[in-house]
Amino acid sequence: MVIDLDRCNGCGACAVACAVENNVPPAHQQANTRNAVSLMNVSAVSNHEQFPAGDTAYIPMFCQQCENETPCMTVCPQNAVDVDPVTGIVGQVPQRCLGCRYCMTACPYHARTFNWRDPEWTDGMKAQLNPAVAPRMRGVVEKCNFCHGRLHAAREKAAAAGRNEIDPADYVPACVASCPTNAITFGDLNDEESDVCRLSKSDGAFRFLARLGTEPKVYYHTTKPWVRALAERSLTRTRQEEFHG
Amino acid sequence: MDSLLIPRGVQRTTFGRFLLWLLPWSALLLVGLYAIYLCLIEGLYHTNMDNRFAFGIWIFLDLTVIALGAGAFFTGFLLYILRRTELKAVINSAVIIGLICYSGAVLVLMVDVGQPLRAWFTFWHPNTHSMLTEVTFCLTCYLIVLLIEYIPIVLKNRQLRQIPKFLVFEFQLHKLMPVFAGIGTLLSFFHQGSLGGLFGVLRGRPFAFREELGIWPSTFFLFVISAAAAGPSFIMLTTRLAEAVTRKRLVRDDVYRFLGRVSGIMLIAYVLLKTVDTLIWINSTSPGSGFPAFEFYATRSFGTWILFTEIVLFGLLPALVLLSDRMRRNRRVLFTAGALVCCGVLLNRFVMTIQTLALPTLPFDAFLTYLPSWEEVAAFLFVIAYGMILYSVTYRYATVFPQEKELSMARADAAEAPAPSFPRRPSFVTALIDRFASSKL
Amino acid sequence: MLPWVYEFHWTPFHIIFLSVFFTVFMVVAATLTTALRRTAKAHATGAAEAILWHSDFEDLAPAARSCRHQFTGDVAHRQCDHAFDCRTCPLHRTFPPLEGRGVSPLTLQEDVLGFAMPADRMYHRGHTWVAPDNEGNYLVGLDDFGKRIIGTADAKELPPVGSRVTVNGTGWKVRTHKAALRILSPVDGEVTAHGGAEDAWTLKVRPAENGNGTEHLLRGAEVRPWIMREMERLQVSFATAGVGATLADGGELVPDFHRHFPKADWDGVLGQMFLEA
Repeated sequence: MVIDLDRCNGCGACAVACAVENNVPPAHQQANTRNAVSLMNVSAVSNHEQFPAGDTAYIPMFCQQCENETPCMTVCPQNAVDVDPVTGIVGQVPQRCLGCRYCMTACPYHARTFNWRDPEWTDGMKAQLNPAVAPRMRGVVEKCNFCHGRLHAAREKAAAAGRNEIDPADYVPACVASCPTNAITFGDLNDEESDVCRLSKSDGAFRFLARLGTEPKVYYHTTKPWVRALAERSLTRTRQEEFHG
Repeated sequence: MDSLLIPRGVQRTTFGRFLLWLLPWSALLLVGLYAIYLCLIEGLYHTNMDNRFAFGIWIFLDLTVIALGAGAFFTGFLLYILRRTELKAVINSAVIIGLICYSGAVLVLMVDVGQPLRAWFTFWHPNTHSMLTEVTFCLTCYLIVLLIEYIPIVLKNRQLRQIPKFLVFEFQLHKLMPVFAGIGTLLSFFHQGSLGGLFGVLRGRPFAFREELGIWPSTFFLFVISAAAAGPSFIMLTTRLAEAVTRKRLVRDDVYRFLGRVSGIMLIAYVLLKTVDTLIWINSTSPGSGFPAFEFYATRSFGTWILFTEIVLFGLLPALVLLSDRMRRNRRVLFTAGALVCCGVLLNRFVMTIQTLALPTLPFDAFLTYLPSWEEVAAFLFVIAYGMILYSVTYRYATVFPQEKELSMARADAAEAPAPSFPRRPSFVTALIDRFASSKL
Repeated sequence: MLPWVYEFHWTPFHIIFLSVFFTVFMVVAATLTTALRRTAKAHATGAAEAILWHSDFEDLAPAARSCRHQFTGDVAHRQCDHAFDCRTCPLHRTFPPLEGRGVSPLTLQEDVLGFAMPADRMYHRGHTWVAPDNEGNYLVGLDDFGKRIIGTADAKELPPVGSRVTVNGTGWKVRTHKAALRILSPVDGEVTAHGGAEDAWTLKVRPAENGNGTEHLLRGAEVRPWIMREMERLQVSFATAGVGATLADGGELVPDFHRHFPKADWDGVLGQMFLEA
């Protein structure tokens, strides 16, 4: 997946689509941004300049699907995190999750959320639940899995048509489909022909915290030098001047 | 009222006063129980942990009490494997402290996880790459070992030992104790280490991530050694506390000094290794993952003072004090140094858990703060109250300190000596016997 | 177990890890089972009595464990390491028997610090005496020292006629107003009769055929220094029992003297004097 930060206007449609697709329960009245369930977050960052040089970028953050020594998978004591060797997607098995939250500690992207409360839907919302995705119970960890329900649907469709491989057009995660500016491109990074592969190798493509060595499979793209500089810094607050490289 | 349950020849307060002593702890126990009920039945939203601060005071204190409870394995190792028999005086108390610390930690862990009923999944679907798997396996086994080690202490109770089966079982179990001590040492070595490894393997948290030595990160070995240093100190402090509460001498001074020396030796080794580890981390590991180490200390309250306090004030200083024979002879200095060692372990576990989580990793993220909720504090106070009650009850009805009787006799002997109207009968009689004996043969 | 986990692959690491930890688990279980099995076996062979005594002996204060050869000056200082069973003690055999050493002036006195300790009896460290009767049985009773410190017993529980007693095992049980006591048996054998109120003895015991005799019992010249040391012990245990300084030199114990110290920890004192932990 490649996300073009220059196109993202921070509308949050991706986060809403994600919640609807994956049956994320509405946040409890007393919940806050730090303890509500949310698989996708969009953060605003600024270059801290005055007008007219001032600029803002929006960064959608969710599971980056680490390839190398996937931090969450290696620490889970009971194999509740698995990396699909075919698709490379990092999945979560909520039925096996103990809720120890060690994976959340291990994740450098804070892309995992815990179900602190019992999920609750109003009657009207219950009718809107996605039948393809099982809701998660209280006390387990969940995360983005590139819309597993949609992958299953695509596979079923391929099987029904007698194909072994899914049609890439059939499998598009909800965030990708809902983005009004087409900022997110999704596909097979191993496929040299694909758009994602081309974009991930283009100038201005980068990954967050790449030096940790976890080889995430989500790329970001920007032409703005200050956003690049920001991404390559780890702790920003202390040395703001370095952002303008 | 319960006098026939109390060991012979030792003084215990009246049953009424004992109940009075238990009363506040029981109250605390009930409050804690209510907090645990809320967390288990209603959900973990009663805590102030959140998606970013996924571990809180519970994990921090669990790591601490397990390190402090290391006295059980280390004393057992020194006594049963290395045959340091002077430690017989504190082995029972070490086992009880260990049992309290470990069972308390496991209990809090069970509240901490979201689905405690699935805890057994780890045995069914173990991920052998996970440090937490190692911790779970070892903690379970070691808790069983500690329970087995605790049985003889209970069975030695005056009334229970009247039951022949219990008596024989206690005897047979005691004969096999070196086996359990050996296994306990092995298990403790692994899980104290893997608790350290827990954070050392976090590639995604450069503040905690450390180089690997073999299959474990360096924190594995640092945690083992620091626990072995803190364990004896904690035994020293709890025994001193028991002496203060009961206003009695319970172990001889040379035992305290020996514990202090053991603590000092382990601590100086720890301080050296920790220094080397910190230097490697600052100069290589941390910058290698894109995070210059000084930046971790640039944030608000967590300055470099924390590193200095941990290594010098709570490390080097007490280590040097405990290694000096002259310093150890001063009781006040000895116990202060012991307290510093325990504080050092507390601070180290705090840094590894809370500070690790407070520091941001993403460039646009903020430094996080977290304050535990009353439920979290109360649930932990439950463990302290439970420990106090278990310790008190065991102390009252079982022989925890074998030297107590002897010390109370020595004290009574010393107390009667200054009475001027009273001739020192023992020496007189002994002299008489010796005279008769020598004249005859 | 593992092979059924979704997409599980065995690696050498799995094998090492799991075998180490399941081995540990098995060792713990096996050790515990061994302890239980040995317990059942030892319990069936009646080892409980001997274990009880050895465990009590281990817990005795050092002063209570002094070797009898210290009383006669054979050794300057020695702690018994045979749980008061001189019959199996190699050191005991190296000394000539007391009888061969001529009559000590001490043995002529049957009054030791005011206690009647007849010279024709043998004494056990747990304050019982043994005297052979003319039918080849042992008469066993509480010695004068023991009688005086116990005073009037509230209840006495004797082993039934026909049961076996063993050296340092339970002879009989005594309950006084504040203490429950186990009186150690001085001999091996079978109980053949109980002494009545008018008898000096408490049990009549037919010696066991494989019994080792009475070599372990104190006699003659040993009795006086032993009682002196016992007085010393009594004094120290009183001091710890909340009575304070007592038993200044020269006095004798009045019968039933514990009535004079109702607040003392009698249980503790008697436990020490009768060698019970």
